[in-house]
Amino acid sequence: MDQWFGYMGKILRADLSECKITKEPLRKDMAKSYIGCTGYAVRILWEELKPGIDPLGPENKVVFSTGPLTGTLCPGSGSYEICFKSPLTGIWAEARSGGVFGPKMKFSGFDFIVLEGKSEEPVYLWVCDGEAEIRDAKHLWGKTVSEVTDIILKEIDSPEASVACIGPAGEKLVKAAAVVNDYYRVAARCSPGAVLGSKNLEAVAVQGTKDILVAEPERFTEAVIRAEEVALKNPFREFWKALGTPGLLELNNAAGSLPTKHGYTTYFDSADKISGATLNSKYLVKREACFGCPFGCGRLTEVKHGPYSVPPHGGPEYETMCMLGSFCSHDNLEAIIKANYLCNNYGLDTISVGNVIAFTMECYERGLLTASDIGGKLEWGDSEGILALIEKIARREGIGDMLAEGVRSAAIKIGKGASELAMQIKGLEVPAKDPRGEARTMALQFALAPRGACHMHPNWPSAWDSSKFDDGLKPFGLPPPADKFAETGVGKGLAYKLMSLHGTICEIMGTCIFYVWGFEGSCLTPKNYAEIFSTLTGWHMDQFELMKAAERVWNLKRCFNVREGISREEDRLPKRFFEPVATGPAKGQAVKNLDGMLDEYYESSGWDTGTGVPTRKKLEELGLQDIADQLEKLKHPN
Amino acid sequence: MKALITFPERCTSCQICELYCSLKHFNVLSPARSRISVVRRFNTPVVCVQCHLCLNSCPHEFVSKDNKTGAVIISEECSGCGTCLNLCPYGAIKIDPTTKKALVCDLCGGDPECVSRCPEDALAYLDPDKAAYHKRVAFAKLSSRR
Repeated sequence: MDQWFGYMGKILRADLSECKITKEPLRKDMAKSYIGCTGYAVRILWEELKPGIDPLGPENKVVFSTGPLTGTLCPGSGSYEICFKSPLTGIWAEARSGGVFGPKMKFSGFDFIVLEGKSEEPVYLWVCDGEAEIRDAKHLWGKTVSEVTDIILKEIDSPEASVACIGPAGEKLVKAAAVVNDYYRVAARCSPGAVLGSKNLEAVAVQGTKDILVAEPERFTEAVIRAEEVALKNPFREFWKALGTPGLLELNNAAGSLPTKHGYTTYFDSADKISGATLNSKYLVKREACFGCPFGCGRLTEVKHGPYSVPPHGGPEYETMCMLGSFCSHDNLEAIIKANYLCNNYGLDTISVGNVIAFTMECYERGLLTASDIGGKLEWGDSEGILALIEKIARREGIGDMLAEGVRSAAIKIGKGASELAMQIKGLEVPAKDPRGEARTMALQFALAPRGACHMHPNWPSAWDSSKFDDGLKPFGLPPPADKFAETGVGKGLAYKLMSLHGTICEIMGTCIFYVWGFEGSCLTPKNYAEIFSTLTGWHMDQFELMKAAERVWNLKRCFNVREGISREEDRLPKRFFEPVATGPAKGQAVKNLDGMLDEYYESSGWDTGTGVPTRKKLEELGLQDIADQLEKLKHPN
Repeated sequence: MKALITFPERCTSCQICELYCSLKHFNVLSPARSRISVVRRFNTPVVCVQCHLCLNSCPHEFVSKDNKTGAVIISEECSGCGTCLNLCPYGAIKIDPTTKKALVCDLCGGDPECVSRCPEDALAYLDPDKAAYHKRVAFAKLSSRR
């Protein structure tokens, strides 16, 4: 049998219709071309999903994915991704989470778990040390995430196992439904929870004691120690340690880039009431890192008394504090912590839920929705209203049923111009970033991210034009940082291309992207990843080959979306980003020339500027000739 | 003779110590085969404190002490019977899932890898007097329940 280093060398496949488990060897040719995690998964789903399938039908597949560096000593190795076709957007979806689930999945003996078909009755999957079984979950249906996790850990009699599960929202096919692992680590976006719910799969539990083998232990140790020393010099490390992502709230507000009042402005007058510093001083219990992370940005918080009391629980993270805070003009931090707790226990994406609640508030203010539509008044900043809507969305009660379909769908239903207000791109709700106040590369990121409006997948590009970092990308021709509000003629298209590929490297390696921002010597560069990957696996790959693998993956994701009908037409921004910011340091700022920036991006990436589709030349250069052929056949069936 | 001291309040449960431990001893990455274990729910590292209760426990006399470092040494002949695990009050001895032999901290022969690699300074390898001070503080915290 083939020896694998870094990888476990196996894929677990669970056919839920047939209640059948199979194990397949990982393919070396594919691992070398696509590395792993979302890269390997996009190739699986390109090959195995027919275009146009119903994302909530049995023909959709869900791939729990790790990378070669998941569970290793590469800093930030606690990642895994869930890949599928999204029921919210109808296109490529990837949802990432940290904690310990990904590493434990690898120690259980599998790089990927492919879930397919649909079970007749609720079930869960239990994977341990190379074996797996499908178990009855009828008694878990309707229970919260923490209840499901507790019961499963007891049933499998393996207290150190890790459980990733859906909650009531996923069971009810809410299109903001998440998969929650380790009680409060969340693979949230694009609704992986609804896809598992549609398959009647409540949870996946993993545990294992297997080794990850190292091809060149001495050189690997040197490489990871070098990487760790770099990570400890990272300009953000002390910030992540001290405040975690919640610290971004005050940082962004000071810069005029804190999305507020459904995007009416990017400055929140009451930001100090919901800041990272306030969270720290009043509610922090302890920091808690994901597996293998020397930053440790995660935190446990607790509200001891009062109507919003919450036991020690993970979060809230920055995105949650903004989306359920300033985005709703809401400044009650205890209610935000409670809202986070509710979302985690119902299995909801706090970004999509916060977005759709703020949208509902604006519709109420403008008279597009009335108190009787909503089931009560809904003024800006109404804590009780926010908590009530979370409950309604999770259970699909009253207006919650309409909102559970996502903001794009809800806006169409409301009509009366509501679609112009909806903050979504390709159907995915816009998160807690604003390209008007932050930096214009964020406009490209929002318009081009493979899963729709996303600030992170694959990278946070404003590191370059907002923070002036080079991220160690000079060897690839990164232009000098431009003014953050500049749009065309300053290399933003090329800079965005390089930064998105750098982020894609992290993604396909199975690591957290928080390590890539900084300067050569203070952040992990493609060279660091190439070095760690090569000494771990024994396959020698330099930084340029690795960048090419990332480009291959990025282009294949685009082709997946093209096959589902995406083109330049959909690389848009919501109307609001073209309107001036109302108040604060970024007052008057607006995106002006998205099309010009897109042209520069498509040109630098070898995509057709008319259609936004990767050219045959580019695909062939990346070894994706078969993909180009298949796309052509789709266009001209005869 | 130095002692390995833990500072649980600084531990974030990153488990980097476990990975370096298994890498150093077995050339693999495997928390299950680490001689130091992080208890995630409490963010606390647990490792042998060299109390030596286990020394005379082994029915086959396969457990001994390194005279230079004071570390507990398990002989290659260990049968994995688990007697020393039962005796250890801290759960600091495990059975290696691959070799099926008992696994306990050997202090890396006097230069513990986990101490030098912990990014949070939650582990220290200290002279007896300094170690005793930190043990007093830990004991005092426990006694006063603070």
